[in-house]
Amino acid sequence: MSTTATGTKWWSGGRSPFNVEYGKLMMWYFLMSDAFTFGAFLISYGTIRFSANSWPDPNVVFQSFPFLGSGLPLLFVSLMTFILIISSVTMVMAVHAGHRGDKKAVVWNLVWTILGGLAFLGCQAWEWTHLYHEGAWWGSNPFANADGSTGHQDFTNFFFTITGFHGFHVFSGVVINVIMLIMTLNNVFEKKGHYLMIEKAGLYWHFVDLVWVFVFTMFYLV
Amino acid sequence: MEQTAHADTKAGRREIWRVTIILSVLTIIELAIGFGMYLWVHEDGFLRAFLKGVIIILMLAKAFYITAYFMHLGHELRNMIMTVVVPLSLFIWFIIAFLYDGASYKHLRNTYDKGFKERTTEKTHQGSDHGKKDLKDVQPQPKTEAPPGPAH
Amino acid sequence: MSNEAVLHSHDVHSHDDHHGHHHHESFISKYVFSQDHKMIAKQFLITGMVWAILGGLMSVLFRFQLGYPDAEFTWMKDLLGKWVNDKGQITAESYYSLVTIHGTVLVFFVLTAGLSGTFANLLIPLQVGARDMASPFLNMLSYWFFLAASLVMLSSLFVETGPFSGGWTAYPPLSALASAQPGSGTGMDLWLIAMALFVVSSLLGGLNYIATILNMRTKGMSMTRMPLTIWALFFTAILGVLSFPVLLSGFILLIFDRNYGTSFYLSDIFITANNVGALPNEGGNAILYQHLFWFLGHPEVYIIILPAMGMVSEVLSVNSRKPIFGYMAMVGSLFAITILAFLVWAHHMFVTGLNPFLGAFFVLLTLLIAVPSAIKVFNWLTTIWRGSIRFTPAMLFAIGFVSLFISGGLTGIWLGNSALDIHLHDTYFVVAHFHIVMGVAGIFGMFCGIYHWYPKMYGRYLNNTLGYIHFWVTLAGAYLIFWPMHYSGLAGMPRRYYDYAQWESFKQFGDLNKFITIVAMIVFAVQLLFLFNFFYSIWKGRKVRSQNPWGATTLEWTTPINPGHGNWPGEIPEVHRWAYDYGKDGQEFIPQTTPVGSNETNHH
Repeated sequence: MSTTATGTKWWSGGRSPFNVEYGKLMMWYFLMSDAFTFGAFLISYGTIRFSANSWPDPNVVFQSFPFLGSGLPLLFVSLMTFILIISSVTMVMAVHAGHRGDKKAVVWNLVWTILGGLAFLGCQAWEWTHLYHEGAWWGSNPFANADGSTGHQDFTNFFFTITGFHGFHVFSGVVINVIMLIMTLNNVFEKKGHYLMIEKAGLYWHFVDLVWVFVFTMFYLV
Repeated sequence: MEQTAHADTKAGRREIWRVTIILSVLTIIELAIGFGMYLWVHEDGFLRAFLKGVIIILMLAKAFYITAYFMHLGHELRNMIMTVVVPLSLFIWFIIAFLYDGASYKHLRNTYDKGFKERTTEKTHQGSDHGKKDLKDVQPQPKTEAPPGPAH
Repeated sequence: MSNEAVLHSHDVHSHDDHHGHHHHESFISKYVFSQDHKMIAKQFLITGMVWAILGGLMSVLFRFQLGYPDAEFTWMKDLLGKWVNDKGQITAESYYSLVTIHGTVLVFFVLTAGLSGTFANLLIPLQVGARDMASPFLNMLSYWFFLAASLVMLSSLFVETGPFSGGWTAYPPLSALASAQPGSGTGMDLWLIAMALFVVSSLLGGLNYIATILNMRTKGMSMTRMPLTIWALFFTAILGVLSFPVLLSGFILLIFDRNYGTSFYLSDIFITANNVGALPNEGGNAILYQHLFWFLGHPEVYIIILPAMGMVSEVLSVNSRKPIFGYMAMVGSLFAITILAFLVWAHHMFVTGLNPFLGAFFVLLTLLIAVPSAIKVFNWLTTIWRGSIRFTPAMLFAIGFVSLFISGGLTGIWLGNSALDIHLHDTYFVVAHFHIVMGVAGIFGMFCGIYHWYPKMYGRYLNNTLGYIHFWVTLAGAYLIFWPMHYSGLAGMPRRYYDYAQWESFKQFGDLNKFITIVAMIVFAVQLLFLFNFFYSIWKGRKVRSQNPWGATTLEWTTPINPGHGNWPGEIPEVHRWAYDYGKDGQEFIPQTTPVGSNETNHH
């Protein structure tokens, strides 16, 4: 936990009980709120799945890879997952570099994070286009259920809604990171004397990664 | 910087790499299980449910590592960890009640709406392993039509 | 490390603000785009009051229809245009629109934004000893999102096809299919946009309230020294932050169902109107929407009632000149209510097809709420027990709140039973229950707060005589309106009917309905009296001469009578004791800022 001396009166007022500035606190509680948004989506998806007699098999639906053709379940989504994990790693390094006040490292790690985010969005764009050409879209599911019955309508509906909502978060995360990059390059944080803003952007970015862990599992694996 | 591990740059960096490797390994195990299910475990039964359970546990482990280390929550004060973790326990009842009622809805319809049961269990395709190519022949492509119903 | 500097940089900043402010405060930055929490509170309050009047007027209009279904008021045609038919009666469609918008507006705009928006903004910084909210800018945005939501909702009243008319809960398929009824088209679109904006507003506000209460307390203000108002507003904010996003998700799925051909909530639907026929949607689950809606909807009733509870606790203690009875039990019961609020949502859905076995758990959890509620009620009663009570209007409204909370809460125990609910659901019994326990009680809490803190808001008093008239007529009126509804509800009279005269079984209640309508009009008229009192007193009310007119212990009364931006001209005072040292050691009250004396008894 923390190495701070015990006996500090964290709660007696005049200071933050958690030793964090209010912005970070607000970011954390915003993320919890957002967790309930995503949670509600995923739980709704689960509810509909539990109320269906059968459901399409994701391994049959998601089995294509650009230039390699089809018959490769899980491969493309693995790539997307690793891209997001790696971009999370570079984001952590940017935050740490910020703590050290190492501007150059902040800049490079942010650049890598942004590139990772863009790569993920590119992958998603490819996957969506591919599915669209197979006839999948909101209100249209060409994929049969695993037991061979007519495909459940909400399979694609949920897929596009939830991955779309996640993609929207990735997109806004990229925008936030670009703003952070510009601010870093303009020495805004150097003048402030701290890089805490990057830490908050980092929290948001990791949250996007965190959500993907759930979306990935729920849509592609189980 | 009195309080934390990240002040020590080297330890911090080591921690990042350790967590990265753990996350990667967990993901690879998940993928292996998923691929194994695709190859060998087709029937809905105990084994499939068990493997899905394992995947979900691995998912939660990944979530733990991301939150605790990447989002740095593990290094915050205990009380702050509590304010984040405790409210998340609301999800337990949230999930149980929703899914239970979803399953109950299926049961209701299968019992009292024979038409529903027939429509949703009738085999219109020859099993899913043959891929989408056959499906396209049977399934209309509503993408080109006007969206159904509610849009006006 | 730099963290400490950051933690306190805000204080320094707003301190500078305070000194710098006097020269460059234009009308726009002071009254319109204000970042001062006190001004934002007034903005919330006055917008909320406008909505309360509009929502109240709607109820008078549909009560008109219920009380006088056969009357022919052709003059209404001139006033309301096509909402009224040629015979001079409100049309069935506009009747349903009125009921729907009345519910939405009163629940969200008045009793959520108007109540917790006003008092969280006004009281949190003042009572915890902060110069302003953690983020004054986001706080300002919170109001502007609320105003935008208000304007969109208001505009839906003027749409040709009318505002949404499928009930404030907006269940699909009525809310999902534009062809379901006239209001389900553009009216519903605007309703959804307004509500989405409202969710954003509530999120921005809630995050700010939580961060301020945790981080910005002045020195010495430990959590257990906070007034109960702050505790209540704290839990209210938590409820909002965790439950509104679920509603938003539900709305997003609904938007897809409406516009993009999805079937999240739709299955097996056949529409006869306009030869639409069978819809292709299959596999959706309308109960899913209800689950999502009530996952917010139930916490929402506590979002309404908790701030009222907090203010009532404070006002009862101040005006009984006694410490609040069982402070920790009060905090604990607020906490218990907050937790339980998230666990009981499906008791609104017992007869919708919810699994009855699951329902049994919801019954159990629901009935558990009686425990913390009873703790609170008994603590309020023991707080005023043998106190030297000052019957100010605020105190009367606080006592009225307790009375209403008891009489409305008891019927909640009936309705929490899934078996009784088979008979009682969707009857006037339910209408009576939630109007008394949430609607009127919430409004009473709001009035209590307004009368009590008006001197802090405007530096003047409200007129007492008008206040007493306002209180007694409203209290008697509320009971006269809603008591009879228990009776007709038990007799099976359903809600949401346009004209009961056509039913042999409900005809007998015609005179009762007429009576209720007359009382409703009187009560509404008295609210206009309050409105007059409010605005008249802003400019002409008796001036507040002393810094601490109620002899209260809390920090807001240590500020100047008309505090500027930054609240305290000098240093923020330090706190040495809890907020309820009344009648201690022979002193009438001891402000929180007074240091503990060497020979004081049992110190908190």
